[in-house]
Amino acid sequence: MLDYYDVAELFESEERQIQRSARDYLDNELMPNIADWWESGEFPTDIIPNLGEMGFLGANLPQEYGCPGVGNVAYGLIMYELERIDSGLRSFASVQGALVMYPISRYGSEEQKHKYLPQMAAGNIVGCFGLTEHDGGSDPGAMKTTAVRDGETYILNGTKMWITNGNIADIALVWAKDSEGDIRGFLVPTNANGFKANKIDKKMSMRASVTSELVLEDVAVPATSMLPDAKGLSAPLSCLTQARYGIAWGALGALESVYNDALRFSKSRSTFGRPIASRQLVQDKLVDMVTDHTKGLLLAWKLAKMKDNGTMAYNHVSVAKRENVRASLKAARIAREVLGGSGITLDYSVIRHMLNLETVDTYEGTRDIHTLIIGRDLTDENALT
Amino acid sequence: MSINIIVCAKQVMDPETPSSAFSVDSDIKQVTPVQGIPPVVNGFCENAVEAALQIREAAGGGTVTVLSVGNEFVMDVMKKPLSMGADSMILIQDQLCENLDALGTVNVLSAAITRAGEFDLILCGQQASDWDNAHVPLGLSETLGIPCLTEAKNIEIGDDSVTVNSSRTDGYEVFEANLPALITVNNEIGEPRYPTLRGIMQASRKTPEILSLSDLGLSEDQMAPAMALSDLYIPVSEAQCEIIEGEDDADSGRLLALKLREAKII
Repeated sequence: MLDYYDVAELFESEERQIQRSARDYLDNELMPNIADWWESGEFPTDIIPNLGEMGFLGANLPQEYGCPGVGNVAYGLIMYELERIDSGLRSFASVQGALVMYPISRYGSEEQKHKYLPQMAAGNIVGCFGLTEHDGGSDPGAMKTTAVRDGETYILNGTKMWITNGNIADIALVWAKDSEGDIRGFLVPTNANGFKANKIDKKMSMRASVTSELVLEDVAVPATSMLPDAKGLSAPLSCLTQARYGIAWGALGALESVYNDALRFSKSRSTFGRPIASRQLVQDKLVDMVTDHTKGLLLAWKLAKMKDNGTMAYNHVSVAKRENVRASLKAARIAREVLGGSGITLDYSVIRHMLNLETVDTYEGTRDIHTLIIGRDLTDENALT
Repeated sequence: MSINIIVCAKQVMDPETPSSAFSVDSDIKQVTPVQGIPPVVNGFCENAVEAALQIREAAGGGTVTVLSVGNEFVMDVMKKPLSMGADSMILIQDQLCENLDALGTVNVLSAAITRAGEFDLILCGQQASDWDNAHVPLGLSETLGIPCLTEAKNIEIGDDSVTVNSSRTDGYEVFEANLPALITVNNEIGEPRYPTLRGIMQASRKTPEILSLSDLGLSEDQMAPAMALSDLYIPVSEAQCEIIEGEDDADSGRLLALKLREAKII
């Protein structure tokens, strides 16, 4: 692991072991194929049970529901290692764990927890999270999807957009407004009548990840499919906080990957008789990458400790997501420069990470939105609305 | 059926260490540890752990105890067999174990195994990636007075016996021996499983038993090397490039073949 300040010294022994085991597994089993999956626009669904077996799905959720129950440093390190391979893989795990399993764990009934969490942790059930709609992800409260109660049933109508895992999911957590205008969450089987997932193709980012539009036309679900303790926008936003936390770690994995490519390339590529690593301008680029990675790792570690002890607030997560993702995107762009023409090929990880990170910089709150979240916290003035 | 297995595992320098970072100190005749690259459990020893776990699982019960001898263990590294599923670990950690030769290692391991009590099977990696000697398993079986079956590709446990399919350069040999026995394995036995999060968390509740040589009743005299390392150095390799030029490609090929024959390469 790239670790210029030996931040890993701050980790527990088990956390270091988890990071190492995750890296061994991912390097051996997934890394060799990731460029091909990305190029062909394919998410390798056959790996899902293996990710479950390793414990990567809902890793920080309670053991009583079949999850590993590790702390937040270990969870972050798993996100780091997944995204070191590809942001699409990390996105799969984030959606499964932070956006579907977490809300079931926090807001679900005991029956829902026992029904879904062990199966989702094992990778036998895949979930997706339907919050964003066509008319803007940054304003989820303006959603148009509705849930109308009809006896012991809710009828859902609406369309969700940019839904990771949509076409491979067995259940969708769909957020909709009820007749009182309250936002509620519903666990909708994707084989329900009236439910349709349309795969979004022609993406130039997140190609090893499934992105979909969800269309719900008079989808009837039992009232028991609603998460009983989730009411209002704060519920889905709390899920986003969990996912953003994972992204703050994951982005650093991508940064390590592009840095390593840039370092290796700069040592092997010579111009005018000397490796380009000996050039001051190239060294400046490498130093910036390592400095950003070091700062980001310390930020992520401290955030994990705050999350473990319950002092982490969503605005703290905004700082880390905003900072680490942008640092990673910047590093990928600079690494692409270092690699020159080679940087645009899939022989290296750089262009793949760079294009993925354009999405990561946008989803789960754009950089601008996080700026305004932090700004509101600092000034008590709301520039979001 | 229940089977009790001891696996001997060695902590070694990571064989994936870049050659550019590898160096030896010829004065003290030791490899210089590389900063920032942690050691690993020897690869074939991990294969032995995997074999032991599979045998225990097939038997439906028993124990897998991992045993290691060294001077300075890195616990993050050495706990890997426990994270894979081994039941317990005994580490003989002593300053005097820093540069043991094979005989000294055999003495320590046999004393630790005798102390540990009854066992059905000892599994060892075929050889360790640091020195590649492959001496210890043979010496250990001799000292303990049990049969040694090497390079196992497949291991089947019977009521009081074990059948081993051993890899040979020109095929396989099948051996049967009474238990207890010692078996060496290499990568042909199967890839070691990855420690899962659950495995790592379960292993975090297992504390290796750490013993010194005095705990085993061993004296410094018994660690005296039977073999002296007279020199240690990295061979100097010199590359010379000669361009073979002919009238055309075929002629160049012919001249190259002549050159290689003169050098007795072909």
